[in-house]
Amino acid sequence: MSKLGYILLALATCLFASYVAHAGELNIPNQLSSGQGFSIPTSGTGTATFYLIGPAGVIKRAVHLGDAVNVAGEETRAAGRYVAVLRSGDSNDTKVFFVTPGRPAALNFLARPSRVPTAKPDAISGVAFVFDGYKNLMLESVPVNFSLAVEKSAPASRTVPAKDGIAWIQMASGRSQGAAQFVASLPATDVSVRRVVQQVAGDACNLHMKAQAMAKTIVVETDPIRDCSGNAVPDGTIVTFTETDSRGLSTVDARVKRGIARAELPLSENATISVAAGVVLGNEVHIRWASPGNGGAGAARANLKFKDGIATDGGRANAEGSATGGRE
Amino acid sequence: MIKTSIFRRCTRALLLLWASWAAFVFPVLADDPAPKVQLSISGATPREVEDTTEKAIVRDYSAAWAALTKALAGNRAGALEAGFTGAAHDELAARIEQQAKNGVRTQITDRGHNLEAVIYTPEGSAMQLHDTAQLDIQVLDGGNVIHSEHATVHYVVLMTVAEDRWKVRLLQAVPGF
Repeated sequence: MSKLGYILLALATCLFASYVAHAGELNIPNQLSSGQGFSIPTSGTGTATFYLIGPAGVIKRAVHLGDAVNVAGEETRAAGRYVAVLRSGDSNDTKVFFVTPGRPAALNFLARPSRVPTAKPDAISGVAFVFDGYKNLMLESVPVNFSLAVEKSAPASRTVPAKDGIAWIQMASGRSQGAAQFVASLPATDVSVRRVVQQVAGDACNLHMKAQAMAKTIVVETDPIRDCSGNAVPDGTIVTFTETDSRGLSTVDARVKRGIARAELPLSENATISVAAGVVLGNEVHIRWASPGNGGAGAARANLKFKDGIATDGGRANAEGSATGGRE
Repeated sequence: MIKTSIFRRCTRALLLLWASWAAFVFPVLADDPAPKVQLSISGATPREVEDTTEKAIVRDYSAAWAALTKALAGNRAGALEAGFTGAAHDELAARIEQQAKNGVRTQITDRGHNLEAVIYTPEGSAMQLHDTAQLDIQVLDGGNVIHSEHATVHYVVLMTVAEDRWKVRLLQAVPGF
């Protein structure tokens, strides 16, 4: 044999050896859908070990070369990156592939807060997570419908595309108090998740009180307290009455009972009484003795004079007048 | 006098030698150094990521990967508790259980993560991130390496607020972003 023949033979031997030792690639698609089984053809004779390493499991199985390796749909439920290895002796055939989520089939829905004042813009937030039937997050854009409704009022509804499996929304609370049904659903399926957001009356609106002098005290009482949508504020809401006179400040916190707050303040010769509920200020009432013939503190309540006004207009709006035991 | 000087020089040289040796050896001996995580928050919507949240995400995601590496290498599902919850925890625990059953282990050398915050929910309780991870992965059956690779893996990550930290609720590898 010529030198060239030896060289070619040696080269062929090397190529064959490298082919034998070469880690080949298994015949598996690059992407599969979750829960989709598949079959891998093998060639040769003898036995080998098949491994499938996935995000939620590892399979190790003895196989006969020449027979197909069957992977059941159960074994590819979790979406993610898989490595399949067929090991025969020192030779490995491998394949990296991905399992992607299937069809949208489930929703997780977070609704916040559970209790919200009425008529507040962007007060309610909803976040929906879209999953397939195997709890894999859907990464394709999927429309999610959100609706918010209180009984006897039209629902507010919007459809939002989920991005990477997440759809979110911020909605204004309704004008009526009550249990609002906040629902996230997947259109064209029967998948929906319901949460309840309790809508309660907002801050008091047009808070107004009246005062009445008694023998030793001044009785102050609000009109029925409602929010700006006309919902009665809940009983138990704290209303603060403050009396300012030459002796200083007297403050009484009263709870709303049946829609009205009521309190008794010390009788004073010249005082200003104000009312507030939370951050909302109401009207002010100015009290002054008429001092008929230096009647003094022991005078009857008919001798009181009142002057009131709403503080918000920067002045005392109403005229002074006399009253018989009440306010003008 | 001369003896004292030589003694001092020797002591100083030994101290320097020990210090330089310790500087190299102690980090190696340290238990599972946290993987390097770089987080970009500029693309997060609809809520802006707070400074404290940004730091917490980096710290807790890094800790979660340290826990994952430890759990997969030693087939110890208990190590996952520190950083994982929900579906991510359940899936990884199932994998570890099957690894142990089949005598398989996975050794990951974590080369770092580029994290990008994508969605930070309006009420601030969940964050979705995209992670591009550089990993050296070896799968061993007993003492045999059955698979070895350096991989750039893209993960869609969902982290949620747990008791006192952020935990990984979903860790889903995808072909790309």
